[in-house]
Amino acid sequence: RRRRQELFTEQKRRKLLPEALLQELAAAPLARAEEPSPAPAPDKRPERGSAKQRKDRIPGQVKKDKAGGTRSKGNYIAVHLKDGNLTGLHQQTAKDFIRDQLYGPGTNRTSANEFFSTANKKDPIKKAAVQFVDKSWGLEKKQRAAKFTKSWVARKMTSTL
Amino acid sequence: MGEFEVHRVRFFGLVPAGVRCMAYQHRGCRLALARTDGAVEVYNFAANYFMEKAIPGHQTRSVEALCWAAGERLFGAGLCGDITEYDLERLHPAYAVDGFGGPIWSMAANNDGTQLAIGCEDGSVKLFQVVPGGVQFEKNLDRQKGRVLCLSWHPSGTHLAAGSINFIRVLDVRSGRTAQRIMVNYHVPKSKKRECVVWSIAFLSSGTIISSDSFGRVQFWDWERGTLQDSHTVSTSAALSLAVSEEEDSIVVGTSAGATYQFQLLPVKTGGQEKRWVKTKPFQHHTHDVRAVVHTPTALISGGLDAQLVIRPLMEKVQKKSYDAVLRKFTLPHRRLVSCARKARLLLFQFSQHLELWRLGSTNKTGKDGEVLPLSRMPEHLLQLKSKGPEHIYCSCVSPCGSWIAYSTASRFHLYRVQHEGDNISIKKVPGVPKLLLPAYQLQCASDSGRLFIASDRGSVHVVQLLEPGGCKHLHTLRPPAGTREAVYLLASSADGNWLAAVSGDWEAGLCHHCTVPTYSCAVTALAIHPATNNLFISYSDQQVGLFEFSIPEKQYTAWSRSVQNSGLHRLWLERDSPITHIAFNPKNTSQILLHDVYMLCVLDKSLPLPDNNALLVNQSTLKQLSEPARHRQLHAFKICKKFQPLLFADLLDERCLVTVERPAADINAELPPPVQQKKFGT
Repeated sequence: RRRRQELFTEQKRRKLLPEALLQELAAAPLARAEEPSPAPAPDKRPERGSAKQRKDRIPGQVKKDKAGGTRSKGNYIAVHLKDGNLTGLHQQTAKDFIRDQLYGPGTNRTSANEFFSTANKKDPIKKAAVQFVDKSWGLEKKQRAAKFTKSWVARKMTSTL
Repeated sequence: MGEFEVHRVRFFGLVPAGVRCMAYQHRGCRLALARTDGAVEVYNFAANYFMEKAIPGHQTRSVEALCWAAGERLFGAGLCGDITEYDLERLHPAYAVDGFGGPIWSMAANNDGTQLAIGCEDGSVKLFQVVPGGVQFEKNLDRQKGRVLCLSWHPSGTHLAAGSINFIRVLDVRSGRTAQRIMVNYHVPKSKKRECVVWSIAFLSSGTIISSDSFGRVQFWDWERGTLQDSHTVSTSAALSLAVSEEEDSIVVGTSAGATYQFQLLPVKTGGQEKRWVKTKPFQHHTHDVRAVVHTPTALISGGLDAQLVIRPLMEKVQKKSYDAVLRKFTLPHRRLVSCARKARLLLFQFSQHLELWRLGSTNKTGKDGEVLPLSRMPEHLLQLKSKGPEHIYCSCVSPCGSWIAYSTASRFHLYRVQHEGDNISIKKVPGVPKLLLPAYQLQCASDSGRLFIASDRGSVHVVQLLEPGGCKHLHTLRPPAGTREAVYLLASSADGNWLAAVSGDWEAGLCHHCTVPTYSCAVTALAIHPATNNLFISYSDQQVGLFEFSIPEKQYTAWSRSVQNSGLHRLWLERDSPITHIAFNPKNTSQILLHDVYMLCVLDKSLPLPDNNALLVNQSTLKQLSEPARHRQLHAFKICKKFQPLLFADLLDERCLVTVERPAADINAELPPPVQQKKFGT
């Protein structure tokens, strides 16, 4: 418990240090007719590290260290983008719900090809299936065949030349 | 009469979007329909079921519910979370009010049309008040976890029934609290323990709630006691939609398997007091899910994901057996989606988000009647033009010489110059397009390809001059003499470039700077000006009075047109389902006119006598077999060909050549989403 007490007092002491530094920093920008920087940022540790370095430097060069943690107003512009994030997520969830209810597992769905082909077969006048050759059949075989043709042609060219 | 070489085009890959929801307006006999791609269409039932207005869709817009409120105002709500009011005069969404509840799943208007209730994703039901000029948030009703998928007002406006997943709630509108909560999943057999989604709901004035759910059941509940009165299982797949008639004695239910059922409240014993709901009529008009149904006083209307709108008049409500009692199915739109460049033999196809330019094939051989000639050059797909942005294309056109392509979306107008170098083409966008009042509802190129006519709102037409080698200049704007607030949706220009005819949404047809055609009580479906005689040909949606010919220089109807009106049209001509969407003329023969609708192609010969009701209307096949003198006796003006069906477009390229663009139903069916499997015996 005593260690904790010491930790607390040390943290209290540490807290004072950045404040003093910030006042110095604030004074320097004020000289340039700018507003004082906002309250100390939540990340005190990197500030402390840079603060130790800053103490050694000349106050006139404080301008360079603004990238360390504090910034003055006017360096950025807040732009309200078309907020598609949250509404897009809601919409996507809604669409997924509809899709799962209508086309998800448990619904007895079949492809349009099969459905209309069955109708064609059950008609009094029997007709062929709607898409007789499905383009997705035997894709690998077709790809292998195309590759083989290319390599064969290449071999023939090299052997004749 | 003539032999034509027909270019039979079947490579227009149009797949219409499925029907998502519908709303019927009793007073004006209009049906508003929303499709899955966000397009909203309005059908006028009094004008022979003609699609009079169409608002194109949007990539991100999805309409889940539509309703008419406060008379003629149309409201839509969708998954983007907004309530949108549609401006039916300027054909675009007028404004959108955020519901602040997430995606809106359902919307219902009360009997007076003064309040709108919306059911949101977060489980809340919100009330909005319809005020002139907008919609105002009134209050939030009780919120419970679970998305509100369907809503229904009690006819007195005091209570609301809301259906969610696994339960139904009845809310008191004045206090906002839940008056009753009914669990729907209670009566499900143990084997199917999944969640029960209540897809649609109806609240009757007797206090009965009718619900249809994902187990394919239609259930009748007593809301005050919270008990189940009756339950019918109509299908093994979900029952998606429900509609009640105005007298509350008949309901229609649509299912996922494409079947619709009618339930009627019938007395148990004839003349007895006790009544029960009985399933009376099954219909199988659709192949895919029926997501929207409407019950009108005389008909059952259903719209499915197979893009079909089916109107089934009820036989017991029909007074006499006439053509009114027939089943109507609409799949293809009542608008012209194909433009033809006659001299260059090009066709421009308009899809929802891109355009395709094709060159027609050619043949060297000739043949006899009915022969299929071999092609020496195949039709070529020259160009695919994608429209930038999420909006769908309103209208498009190609100039007769084939060197200019123009199209318009809701916010932008694009003009392109196409160069033909031998067999290759190159395309360049024309800069400096004038900033006109958008959108353009119809585009028409003058026959000399020098000017482009752009139909705009408030009845005005902009004239833009097309300059070589690739520029344009706004010449002037033609406005109608009497102010009108509706937009122009049909244009026709004369061959000599002096006259322009325009039709606006309130069915006023006028010639710019000249005169107006006497108004008729029906919508105009097609318009054309004869190149030689400068007579204006109009076709109306009401096949009762088929077509008029108006002489422009004389400002009155021609003698031929008066004789047609006096003798009346043939009964079979008047009993056609689909409107005539294009009129073309034969350049060599001034008395021949080509008309087409979805199921037939007709060449009208003004020099021949008109058929009377007893004569055979479609007599081409009989005429071929007769001898010469017999043929002369039976010849009449209407030469109809039904060989090419269903037709999207037909035009005369020159006096020997016809082009017909068909879209067979089988090709549309092959591209539809997966339907529910129906187990048939023997498969």
